[in-house]
Formats: sequence, structure tokens, C-alpha cells
Amino acid sequence: MKELIRKLTSVSSPSGREEPVRALIKEEITKHADEIWEDKLGNLIAAKHGGKTKVLLAAHMDEIGVIVTDIDEQGFLRFSNVGGINPQRLVGQRARFANGTIGVFGAEKLEENQKLTLSKLYLDIGARSAEEARQKVSVGEIATFYHEFSDLGERIVAKALDDRIGCAILIEALKRVANPQNDLYCTFTVQEEVGLRGARTAAFGIDPDLGIAIDVTGTGDTPEAERLAIKLGQGAAIKVKDNSLITHPMVKDLLTDLATKNNIPYQFEVLPFGGTDSGAIQLTKAGVPAGVISIPCRYLHTPSEMVDLNDVEAAVRLVVAVMETKLD
Amino acid sequence: MNLETLLMELSAAAGISGREERAAQIIIDLFAQGEGAQWISEFSQDRLGNIILRKQGQGPQPPRLMLAAHIDEIGLIVTEMDQGFLRFSCVGGIDQRVLLGQEVIVHGREDLPGIIGAKPPHLQEPEEKNKAVKLKDLIIDLGLPEEKVRSLVQIGDPITIRRDCCALKNSLYAGKAMDDRAGVVALVDCLRRLKERHHQAEVVAVVTVQEELGVRGARVSSYGLNPDLGLALDVTHGDMPGLADYEAFKLGQGPVIVTGPQVHPQIFKTLKAAAEAANIKYQVEAEVTPRGTDAYALQMAQAGVATGLVCIPLRYMHTAVETVSLKDITETSRLLTEFIMQIDRAFVEGLKCY
Repeated sequence: MKELIRKLTSVSSPSGREEPVRALIKEEITKHADEIWEDKLGNLIAAKHGGKTKVLLAAHMDEIGVIVTDIDEQGFLRFSNVGGINPQRLVGQRARFANGTIGVFGAEKLEENQKLTLSKLYLDIGARSAEEARQKVSVGEIATFYHEFSDLGERIVAKALDDRIGCAILIEALKRVANPQNDLYCTFTVQEEVGLRGARTAAFGIDPDLGIAIDVTGTGDTPEAERLAIKLGQGAAIKVKDNSLITHPMVKDLLTDLATKNNIPYQFEVLPFGGTDSGAIQLTKAGVPAGVISIPCRYLHTPSEMVDLNDVEAAVRLVVAVMETKLD
Repeated sequence: MNLETLLMELSAAAGISGREERAAQIIIDLFAQGEGAQWISEFSQDRLGNIILRKQGQGPQPPRLMLAAHIDEIGLIVTEMDQGFLRFSCVGGIDQRVLLGQEVIVHGREDLPGIIGAKPPHLQEPEEKNKAVKLKDLIIDLGLPEEKVRSLVQIGDPITIRRDCCALKNSLYAGKAMDDRAGVVALVDCLRRLKERHHQAEVVAVVTVQEELGVRGARVSSYGLNPDLGLALDVTHGDMPGLADYEAFKLGQGPVIVTGPQVHPQIFKTLKAAAEAANIKYQVEAEVTPRGTDAYALQMAQAGVATGLVCIPLRYMHTAVETVSLKDITETSRLLTEFIMQIDRAFVEGLKCY
């Protein structure tokens, strides 16, 4: 599984440009699904049949990035964000474009560092002139964080674990499921980071009876962290609320009962910010009960996101339990 | 059915967004088995919990009118246990300044009374003294030992303000959740009135969920029902010292008929004409931004729905002393009833001509 996660996080696939990771996932799941197709926005859907109830399981393929808005006379790139990027955490980090071009984030001189905004930052790709820069990169191209995968033993660090870890969990569950009891639609969605766009259209197309997203959540277990009752290594998190969703009580109870029955460690999550694909799934057509299985993750939306493999294993088992429980 | 009792019961009932079941039960009891069962032709509930009360129309090809009023209230949610005390966060836009010193009910494995406390003034740092206490510094005290709290409460449990509705003088009622239980009462009263009337349109009254989190219930119910036209019932700001005339409306002076880009001009016109013909006093509010009411979801449903919005004036919005006039509620239900009488197939066809 570590190798799968390493592979999935090694590619650059920002929102709207998910092809590289989609190709990897497709290869992984081909043997394990009854049908595989892509919809018009690029969502990858793997169906596995087993019962009447249509269950949509969603993990998003896309990752955050920066999009070039301007190339100045010296060849420095100005950019805007694709998804939630914190300017305070960019300086000195590297980004990579689809064609392999690497850049480093720099900042203008500022009187007060607190006032750092994206407009004060630039990306330096080592070009000596505008002309040289334009040969490598054009306005409108998107770069993602460039950072290697690190194996810390029980824990791993990589960029884009949000939400390649969810993709890895869904792939692994698809491989492990022996007796699917529901009509499963394992959906690897696009454009989550820019407003749950892929899940919105995928869910409309599938029209499921139940939706479950698999995504990362924040933690409150680091020194002087903002209060949040989520800890790395304490199990899969069952979401109760975030800004996009109040989990349907029936779905919360289903996940809690399955975790308890199968001795899967879990914690409850009330996230005062953020949203996931389930927010969009819930509002599909005449309404779909929806919930989220979350993976606690430190340093969200930085090039070094950290998860605990025990939580990942708990999440895989919980997803498999949903797949193998007859739902009416 | 007594409207005053219904308003007071609904106001006191627990039902934060996403967990509306108790407040909803009052409506379900009334319409599934109670007196209200005779007023409607069909009762149902959708997958997200919206209550759908349908009354057949008597005209040829009856057009479908969807009415919406939301049953959810703003509230709180448990986020953390802290040495036997509870930390919490908001569900919906609660006014954080008024939380300190409130009595609450934590809906754990059982209902637990609690109070919201914070550091006493004597022990505050000088810079803390002149500031409202921040949400993150507030705690809920259940009076229970830590072990007991852990066995009875879980992270994610809903919390409501404990507040019985208070009848003020002059038919005013103060309590929590009047936004939008006052609208729900008007909706119920309208269905009661319609029993006596011979109307052309099919009326589908929806008691919606999760309005306070972004009109979520109305969004899915309006998709499911795909009505020919829609009317949302909500509350708007009531008059009080410090508010300008254009942003606040007089309590006891009748329903507020809203106009603006999200309201279909024909519906606005017909609402006013219906009020005038029936001697119903009304006020007019111009609203240019698509505000957070169910009207927004209705207007955008499927291929678009011609929508209207009627509001009941309410003072002290999003506090636990929201104040409304029962007279405004009954006048609103009268207005709705008279409006419904105007709706037939020809009216719906006419909506295409501005």
C-alpha cells in the first residue's frame, strides 16, 4: 500500500488537469471492477455490482496548485491559486509544471510578513529573460508542489495526500472487497479543490441512494495547535459536520455501528471549516443521504502532508464494511 | 389547533439544522394522524427529512405551487471534551455575543441541562475585559463528573438553547427559533384555511430542513417536486431603535412582500393585489441580493421556477429572544390563502409574459 501511495503522490495532477493520476488509477483498478468509464468532466467511475442500493464512494484525484497569470520582463512568473493555498507557507518551496519545469517560490521585500499575499509572491524558474521563461511555460499553465514521498515508518509524508490517500483507500477497498452487497460506484472525482465540481456532476449522473466521500481532515494534536479533537493514529474519523455538510444521522449511525461491530478504531469529526465531495453529493437531485470517512492529516495544503498508516488501514476496513453490508 | 400553542411549542422544540427531528415531529403528529390530516391529500417526507404536505387542486391541469418554510434553527454542536466540560462550535450564524450565561440542552444519549460559562471578570486580563468573550473561550458545564460526561456525550452531539417561548403583551411572542418556525405556523394556518376554499392550483407545502446552512432542504425538495411556481415564507428584520426604516419592518403591521431580482414580477404584483382585495395590511421590502432564504433554492430549481417571497417581521434575529407578532403570522397566512386563490393554469401561462 505504501508503494501505491508513493506512486499516486508522485504525479502532478492539479484541479482540471487530472489526466496523469487518472491513468495510474485506471491501471490499478482495471482488474477489480465490473465496468469502468469516464464522464465528460473526467471523473473516473468504477462500478462493481452486488445489490440494489446504489452507493457512491468518492475520493478526489485533483490536488491544489498555482496557475501562471503573467510572465514579467525578467522572466519571473506571477500566479494565482488553484484551490486553497496559504501564502505564508510558500516561500522556498518548489513547484513543478506538467512538462517538468521546476520553479521556486520567492517573495518581494515586505515591511510586515503578516501582510504576505499571493500577489507579493513570484515563481522563479531560473529563466534569465521573459523570452526564456516563455519557452518553458505559458500563461494558464498550472504547477503543483514538488516534494518527495518520505516513509517515516508508521507515518508517511508527501504532497497531495489530500486526497490521493483517499484514492489509495478506495483502490485498496476495491481490491479487497469479496462479497459486494450493494451496487457500488467507486468514483475518483475531479476539481474538488475548486468547489466540489466533479462530485456534483458525477452524482447527478449516477443518482445514488447513498453517498460516502473519503477525504482528509485536519488535526489538533500538534504543539499549540488550534483546538480540534482529531488525533493522528486514533483511527478513521467519522465526519459529523463541516462547512459543506451535516452528516445525515442515518449515515453517521451506519458508519459508527460498522466501526464498532468490526473493531475498527474511529473518532468523531466536527470540522469548523472546509468541505468535501459529500457536500455536493447530498444536494444532488431530490437529495442523497451522505457522509464522510476522513483520514486525519497534519500540515494540510502544504507540500508535506502527514498521515498515519493505522488510520489509513482503519479507513480501508470501514469502506470495505460499507461495501459488504446490505443496505436498504 | 391553537396557533398560539403551536407557535410556543415549536419555538421551544429542539431542531438544529440537520437534526430537525423533534421540531419536525410536532408537524408530523399534526398532519400524519392529527387534525391536519383532513386538510391535505397526502403526507410524505423525503430522504433529507423535508416534510411534504400536498393538497390537490380542483382546476383543470392544476399548476403546482410549492410553499416553503424552514423548521431548522441555528444552534451549537459539541466539538471536544475538556476535563468534563464541553467545547462547542456553531451550527448556522448564531450571535456569539449572547451565548455567555445561556442555559442549554445537550442532546447526548439523554437530554442534559447545561450552562455556558467563561472566565469571571475578576480573573480576566485587562485587555480581555472590554471584549465579548470569544466562542473558543466558552465552555458548557453539565455539572457532571468527567467519566459521566464521556459516557453520555459524544463529539458531534447537537446542543440547543433552553428557552421557553415568552408571551409578551400585544400578541408579541419572544423565544428561540422563531426564524423560521413563525413561517411554519403561517404555513400550517394557511393549509387549515384552504380546507374551506375551492382552489385551482395543487398546493405543496414543504416544511424544509437545513435552510440555515445554505438552503439545502429547499434545494433538493424543489428539485424533487419541480413546481410551476414557488413561494418561500421566512422572516425579515423587525423595527427597533438604531435601525433605518428601509432595513427594518414594523411588527404588527402585516406581512412583508419582497420584491427584487429573485422575485417574479407577476407574483409580486399578484401578492399585493390579493392583499389589497382582502384588506390585508402589508409592507414592501426591496431586496437586491439573493439572500439566504428558500426562495433562492426555489428560483434556481431544475430549469427555473417563478418564485415569490413573503416575510414576517422579527426583532433580534439569531438570538434566543427572537420576537414576532402573532397578528403578522395570521395575516401572512391569510395573504397566502388569498394568493393561492388567484393561481390557475392561465396564471402560470401568463408568467412567460412580463
